[in-house]
Amino acid sequence: MAWSASKIFATLIEDALENTAAYNLKTGGDSFKVSLWDNDITPDNTVSTANRAYAAGQWVSAGNEVYDAAEWPVTGQALDSVDLTVAAAVIKWAAANEVSTGTSATLANVYGCMVYDDTVGDSGVCYNYFGGVQSVTDGTFTVVWNSAGIFTLTLT
Amino acid sequence: MAVPILAPAHREWYCPSCHKTDVTTDPHGGKPHTRFHTCPKLGFLTTPMLPVGVKGKLVAHEREDYVGNEIVRVDANNRPVASIVTTRDNGQDCTVFAPTANGRSDVPPARRNAIARAGSATGSG
Repeated sequence: MAWSASKIFATLIEDALENTAAYNLKTGGDSFKVSLWDNDITPDNTVSTANRAYAAGQWVSAGNEVYDAAEWPVTGQALDSVDLTVAAAVIKWAAANEVSTGTSATLANVYGCMVYDDTVGDSGVCYNYFGGVQSVTDGTFTVVWNSAGIFTLTLT
Repeated sequence: MAVPILAPAHREWYCPSCHKTDVTTDPHGGKPHTRFHTCPKLGFLTTPMLPVGVKGKLVAHEREDYVGNEIVRVDANNRPVASIVTTRDNGQDCTVFAPTANGRSDVPPARRNAIARAGSATGSG
């Protein structure tokens, strides 16, 4: 199956509403990371809380995660300037674009990223499919988030 | 003792596609960064610039997969763009436009029909 779409993990919402996990997606709240993945995995947003965590389920690093030792390290890059906003019926979670650390990253077969809460159990928040294979050779890898955010909920 | 005040380093940038130039004053405290601009030659996409003196070219790559319900970046011709690759003499950069993971409350027709067929919610009447 491999990658096919970008999704919010359903149990993220469930756990927040049931108060089984205290996520804080606001500015100054939890710390988040964005990790890069190849096409060997099949992301699924209906998995359990345990299986949407980094290093669990589909998100086991060995053979699946794409990283550059220094410039996009294993476990991912830390997200900066995260912010959760609500405008009318649209909830949007955004962050600053993520740039590899340095100018000599080499990353191959990148198909998408998984964003997770590094403060609360490495819990997956969502995954974003890049629409095909991406790579960088001895350069800079930048993830530009859509103006609609990393994830959005439209409650109209 | 006099404390020297160091002026922030200036970096000059250019776009090999539209030839726009710009100058930044190291806004990230020495961290690597790339200047971006809206490039009219690349469908008005958010496009990286190159440091002056570095030769290279920019190529926008269309999304290779079905768009479906994805919220993707599109260019001026409404084509979904997955990334812009900067090819330099000694390497390559990649700027990926990550789609938004989205959840919507509108119910697709197939699910609406399934709900209608299932009848009312459970509970004693």
